[in-house]
Amino acid sequence: MIDSVPLVADSVPAVALTGIWKRFPGVVANAGAHLTVSSGTIHAVLGENGAGKSTLMNVLAGVYRPDEGEVRVHGRPCRFRNPADALDAGIGMVHQEFRLVPSFTVAENVVLGAAPPLLRRTAFEAEVASTAARFGLAIEPDRLVWQLSMGERQRVEILKALWRDARILILDEPTAVLTPAEADELGGVLRRMADDGRSVIFISHKLHEVTDFCDEATVLRGGETVAASLTVADTDSAQLAGLMVGASPAVTERPPPREPDAPLLEVSGLSALGDRGNKALRAADITVRSGEIVGVAGVAGNGQRELAEVIVGFRPATAGSVVIDGMDLTGATPRQRFRAGLGYVPEDRLGVGLAPRLSVVDNAVLRVYSDYRRGPFLAADRARAYCQDLVKRFAVRTGALTDPVAGLSGGNLQRLLVGRELDHHPRVVVVAQPTRGLDVQGVKAIQDLLVAERNAGAAVLMISEDLDELLMLADRLLVMQGGRISAEFDPVTSSRQDIGVAMVGHRSDAEGRL
Amino acid sequence: MRRPVLVRRDEALRGGQPLAFAIGLAAALFVGVLLLLGAGHDPATVYQRMFEASLGDPDAWSVTLNRAVPLGLAGLAVAIAGSMGLWNIGAEGQILAGAMMAAWVARVGDGWPGPIIIVAMLAAGAVGGGLLAAGPALARSSIGVNEIITTLMLNEVALRLVQWLIHGPWKDPDSFNFPLAPMLPDQARLPVLFGRAHAGVILAGLVIAVFGLAVSRSVWGYELRVAGSSEATARYAGISLSRKIFTVLVLSGAVAGFAGAIELSGTADRITETISNGFGFAGIIVAALALMRPGGVAAVALLFGAVQIGGQSIQTLGVSSSVSTILQAFILFGAIGAGVFSQYRIRLVPGRRSVLEESVG
Repeated sequence: MIDSVPLVADSVPAVALTGIWKRFPGVVANAGAHLTVSSGTIHAVLGENGAGKSTLMNVLAGVYRPDEGEVRVHGRPCRFRNPADALDAGIGMVHQEFRLVPSFTVAENVVLGAAPPLLRRTAFEAEVASTAARFGLAIEPDRLVWQLSMGERQRVEILKALWRDARILILDEPTAVLTPAEADELGGVLRRMADDGRSVIFISHKLHEVTDFCDEATVLRGGETVAASLTVADTDSAQLAGLMVGASPAVTERPPPREPDAPLLEVSGLSALGDRGNKALRAADITVRSGEIVGVAGVAGNGQRELAEVIVGFRPATAGSVVIDGMDLTGATPRQRFRAGLGYVPEDRLGVGLAPRLSVVDNAVLRVYSDYRRGPFLAADRARAYCQDLVKRFAVRTGALTDPVAGLSGGNLQRLLVGRELDHHPRVVVVAQPTRGLDVQGVKAIQDLLVAERNAGAAVLMISEDLDELLMLADRLLVMQGGRISAEFDPVTSSRQDIGVAMVGHRSDAEGRL
Repeated sequence: MRRPVLVRRDEALRGGQPLAFAIGLAAALFVGVLLLLGAGHDPATVYQRMFEASLGDPDAWSVTLNRAVPLGLAGLAVAIAGSMGLWNIGAEGQILAGAMMAAWVARVGDGWPGPIIIVAMLAAGAVGGGLLAAGPALARSSIGVNEIITTLMLNEVALRLVQWLIHGPWKDPDSFNFPLAPMLPDQARLPVLFGRAHAGVILAGLVIAVFGLAVSRSVWGYELRVAGSSEATARYAGISLSRKIFTVLVLSGAVAGFAGAIELSGTADRITETISNGFGFAGIIVAALALMRPGGVAAVALLFGAVQIGGQSIQTLGVSSSVSTILQAFILFGAIGAGVFSQYRIRLVPGRRSVLEESVG
């Protein structure tokens, strides 16, 4: 099926994908999607999880072959057999998971696979440095990749594509690993590339980035293109959100607050060591009262994970105390804390929160299996009945309940996990990255559950790297930086700018000497 | 250029397991025909002998069942550890340790009434295997020493111990200076059920059934499976890991030791250094083919036993032991390995480079 391409009269588009179909076992990822990208523009590709964005981009980058449809690059029909073919045609892709050799230097990674026959280090390091400078990418070519931050690694990936003279650069959710300041900087780099006559394809589901950085936007839904090459200046976030979800725009209003009552979670002077024996958590004081959501913002790796783990009893505290509902549980086991009314939705759903190879039923009773004892056996019928009920009430879509839980989609895994933790109405709920990787509907469902739990009187501590989410849901917002609670904000009145500055903080003294 | 890739089926093939089994067996037998023809044997005669010797009549069945006992118990030992994600590579040594302890009880208890001496031997066998596994179990559960290495190395220790015993303290004075332990007294032998099948067949079946149920249905087994799926999840659920690791490895060793005692009391005349006969290592294959499910090892062990007995029998037709071993491997691999095709199918895809076919974005 070949659609007619709406060609711009005076120029051939850099990329024209038409009638792309791609099927996987049981899934149609692209159903006749099309995309047209002009030279010299930054083009957003928007869509929910599973809308077919990544598949379409992988078709363009030569990772997948389309079942049907046509790929034209600068007007020339292309049939890529592999990513190298696409790269030869000037298409580079920066994937979400970086593909770098940690023990190599920046320059070595950049030239890897496309190096001149004689490796003269100083020569290519200088060339890499000049390419980086041309596009405003701040990076030192002789540093080893394992020492770099995520943002710096991303720059290496972009440099790799530029080194190969990619005229068309695809970035798959590039800002997911960046701080707000780094994201702004990336926007500048992309603009310079567009001004150089290149095309940038920017995959995202963060609408404010699209309106900030991009010239045009194409929206995918259910594998089809629902809006092609909209001029971003003429649209607004609500319209784009509406196109993505296919219904009324996602609600971005704050849920009405509830008057908080007695403190249920009291953390004082809490310190703990990180996995490498470093002081990851330094004298944190947090109080969460009944009926409030306290958000914890911060750049990944500033002690948020350790904070959650110490509170729930996975990681020993080196100092300080954890008091839940008046009981000092600093040295208690995870099970004792759960029994005392502490629910926990960990960041790593499959692998901490759920046992991947075990069935949906087995996972549903994970916290309370000792209540399902019948002699030495687990009462399978009662566990199954409970699981059926849980799955129904929290709208988890599953296959057979006896199938391994690893087969569930991300959104359904999280519904199961959140449902299981909230089902016993814990007094205190600690959630980490509760909506990461979920689609718009999934995000909404999880957020609604948390707000409902707050309204019912629970104290919710919400650790997230998604500032938008925290601003929308939190009644108070704490920022963690260098293992400390470094600032507190009122989410209603504070500016994103100020919060962003607090998150980045004084990086030099934050890491400290271990 | 086209190359084959395995693609997961949308849903498992209906009735796929038996079908895959039959097709895999047929394919293996066909390849075996080529092998036998190449080695200069008449395939029809060889296959007929294999079948008759292993499954042809009750006597043949009894031999096959006897063989399936140590294979199944060793497979169970590996599978118990495996359901918690642990590898017991030391079943071979634990079988020897169990046989040693049982032999010691038989020496000490010479003159005790039959049932008592047998029960004592079997219990001692389990204790012996468990003791040999206790070291690795303690090291793993307390300071995280890799149990694969430690259990494997103790195989050698157990073997040397048996050799020392039969060359030294336990050498039979009437053996004309051969390094042989004395024959077991008659009351230390397991009763015979039929043909040559001994009561160990029933005991092994019971033990496999009990552990199969325990792992799949009990609260204890649930905790085991959670830990086997993810240690972090187990901690999250409040399961004490170190105690569990210790018990599971010791139990795994005890099951292997029990197998050693049954071998000694059921099929051997005396303790020898070859009494474990590779069963401990074959047990790893049995457990892997049973997908680490304790309940599945019985069926795999029966097939494994039949193939081994049949394979040995054809050596009397002049088939060399290496050809026989290759043939056994074909059959096991074909019959059980083919099970994968009930869940996967082969698709020919063009191209040389790897194509990422898993993720859908």
